[in-house]
Amino acid sequence: MINSYDIAIIGAGPAGMSAAITASEAGAKVIVLDDKKFAGGQIYRNVCNSPIEQVNALGPDYLKGRSLVERFGQCSAEKISSASVWHVSNSGEVLFSKEQSTTKLTAREIIVSCGAMERPFPISGWHLPGVMSAGSAQVMLKSDGVVQDDAVFVGTGPLLYLIVAQYLRLGVRVKALVDTTPKTNYLDSFSSLPGALNEYPTLIKGLGLLKEIQKSGIPVYKYAQDLAITGETSANGVKFQSGKQSYNLSCDHIFLHQGVIPNLNMTRSLSLDHHWSEQQLCWTPTLDSWGQSSATNISVAGDCSGIIGAEGAEHMGRLVALNQLSKLGIIATDIRDTQALTSQHRLLRFNRLRRFIDRLYRPKEDHRIPTQDTTVVCRCEEVDLATLRQEFERGAQGPNELKMMSRCGMGPCQGRQCGHTVSELLALWRGEAVKEVGYYRLRSPMRLLNLTEFSDFSHIEPTRATDTSQVQIQEVTR
Amino acid sequence: MNADALIIGGGIHGCSAAYYLSKLGFKVTVLEKDWVSRHASGVNAGGVRLLGRHPAEVALSKASMELWANLDEELDANTGFLSRSHINIAIDEADIETMNQRQAEMHSLGYFHEKLIDQKELRERLPAIAPHCIGGVVSEVDGYAIPYQSTNAFRHAAVRLGAKFIEGSVVHNVRKVGENWLIESSQGQFEAEHLVNCAGAWADKVAIMIGDNAPLSFSAPMLAITSRMPQFISPVVGAVNGVLSFKQFENGTVLIGGGLKGFADRDKNQTRLDYKKMAANAYHAADFFPIMKTASINRMWAGIEAYMPDKIPVIGKSLNADKAYHAFGFSAHGFQMGPIIGKMMAELIVNGSPSLSLDAFNISRFEANKV
Repeated sequence: MINSYDIAIIGAGPAGMSAAITASEAGAKVIVLDDKKFAGGQIYRNVCNSPIEQVNALGPDYLKGRSLVERFGQCSAEKISSASVWHVSNSGEVLFSKEQSTTKLTAREIIVSCGAMERPFPISGWHLPGVMSAGSAQVMLKSDGVVQDDAVFVGTGPLLYLIVAQYLRLGVRVKALVDTTPKTNYLDSFSSLPGALNEYPTLIKGLGLLKEIQKSGIPVYKYAQDLAITGETSANGVKFQSGKQSYNLSCDHIFLHQGVIPNLNMTRSLSLDHHWSEQQLCWTPTLDSWGQSSATNISVAGDCSGIIGAEGAEHMGRLVALNQLSKLGIIATDIRDTQALTSQHRLLRFNRLRRFIDRLYRPKEDHRIPTQDTTVVCRCEEVDLATLRQEFERGAQGPNELKMMSRCGMGPCQGRQCGHTVSELLALWRGEAVKEVGYYRLRSPMRLLNLTEFSDFSHIEPTRATDTSQVQIQEVTR
Repeated sequence: MNADALIIGGGIHGCSAAYYLSKLGFKVTVLEKDWVSRHASGVNAGGVRLLGRHPAEVALSKASMELWANLDEELDANTGFLSRSHINIAIDEADIETMNQRQAEMHSLGYFHEKLIDQKELRERLPAIAPHCIGGVVSEVDGYAIPYQSTNAFRHAAVRLGAKFIEGSVVHNVRKVGENWLIESSQGQFEAEHLVNCAGAWADKVAIMIGDNAPLSFSAPMLAITSRMPQFISPVVGAVNGVLSFKQFENGTVLIGGGLKGFADRDKNQTRLDYKKMAANAYHAADFFPIMKTASINRMWAGIEAYMPDKIPVIGKSLNADKAYHAFGFSAHGFQMGPIIGKMMAELIVNGSPSLSLDAFNISRFEANKV
């Protein structure tokens, strides 16, 4: 007979690590699967194993992840790193690949905490070699200590300013920052400013980054619009309008960024209910206040539940774990409620700050919904806007019909890079709300799966046999 | 809203029947509970295969192949059909024996389209094949098409001839009012003289409303497709001994099928895959083609398909009701038959009799099986 884990956690970022600590300290049999070599998620990537000597240049928000990563390392949860989860089912089955073989496990409860991804930036030329996301610049920096001199950074949002500031602190030459935050966003976000003031220090830090960049003397172009990346076979420059002036910066490396959105491939292929968030302009799994999804045994925590940031994710991970512990009968409901208070309070405050940030850095419509016929929407299958419009006009009214007719979203990324664009495009063309349009129906595997590793099939289970009669109601100690 | 014929089910047989009925001047309405080509017709392996057909199906399948050859022109659309030949591969003496018996049977029925090939010819046709494969059988006219595009090609051609498609219309009730059929659906009432049941894995429910019993079962045959690979194989291939079915598309992706079944929940339109079974099947592909060891699977899925106990479809007039007709239960090999079945249904309905016999497929055959 195969024994089940109590809780399987997919992703060891702030939410997953915090959930694992909470759940394992209460005595649950927990397994955490993460696709990186070291825990930490995107935000605390390699924070305890940095390849960079001047690691302080990455800033205090990064370094403070050390204590969480260390506590996670010490907790009794079983941890499997470099494990790529490619299928999760609502029957509690988890399949993952590690070292060229496939392993299966089952768990009573599952926490999906696989974080965020960068919002696609489908402007003319964004698919050309030489164009990367600012997030990938950060991955290269944190993982391998690799940087790119003379790049132009284009877009909006705190993460964009952070990577530019980190580059400058490390002495990397930055050619320019092209800031696409529209002037109107500053006015529009003003009304949500009072709610954000509770998180004053975070707010100040964010504004401090921009100041730091401006003081460094690199060219900063504000309120940029009418963006296009130039080049035939690879990028050779970026064109835009700033103020009344047109610019054409020549450069071989362009980093784009306009915020992050939940990484939804797992929650979507689980067929969980989702809704469209007008505040964050993205699909979001529909959850109760404990992160519980429409499937009874699946909860979602952290940025893949809707963007809440690292600290918010940490608190949410704790809440989700407390709720699952009470569902498993490991802690009583009243203990769950008492233990949850601090995190619930903190999350409320983060959400108010989030409203302000989301409004201030709301990406422009023409940076989300392409307008040029030749702009590539699906990079995997190279499907451009004109092709999509043609199939739409021939009757493909929904994302799945459009996918089947045009191959848009059929490539290896499973629509991660075009799903939101297609939802918004169809809403525009149909003259309906995005929520009426919906999203792709996704299929496993969630990543490319080598045939040999797929066919080498085994299973794992908790090392201690499960004996539910022995489970006692105990308090979570922290 | 009145029509000469009302078709329940917007799969390839419903769309094809709509096209050929419209071509003969009928006013046609198609009711589809989801969207056209949503289920088996849109997500099948796309095989356009005459090889290895059940003897009762060969005549229809051959006629369908002739229609496929000119279908893009006929429908003014791109079905993606390519004639690439289909080879079933033998790996041992038992397979050779199976092939010889089949060959004798086909010849006795007067069919000569299946040709045995030896190991040398097999290797010439399939240079990437593993050394232990010793022979095979080929049908030259076979190939593949893109299922979703093909089904929609029929639909759009039918629409150009005046047919109406109502998507998202679930049929709740069917009854005779005078000479006509009255259909109550989630999108309102429809009335028509003739009623055609092309409802696939849901066709037994429609049959009961009409007044016929159909011992249909349904399941979820599983498929996997790889990311793009260098071109290494042109024909569609299968295994004489069973479950492998395998093709490489023009864009380099390789589709692995073989009829292994996952789990279907037809009330929820959902399928669940059996990954362990799928893993074994996928590896099977590498047994025949070692290059597949390096393949990467991009997607796996299953569609909801109807099966009859004798593995051949129900096609023809209703047993118990006038002016009602069935075409369903193709048991995972109906895609290739789409063009001819639509044509025969149109002839049956408009002229009273089809130019090719449908006798072997009548629903009455299950009535005879008394306990």
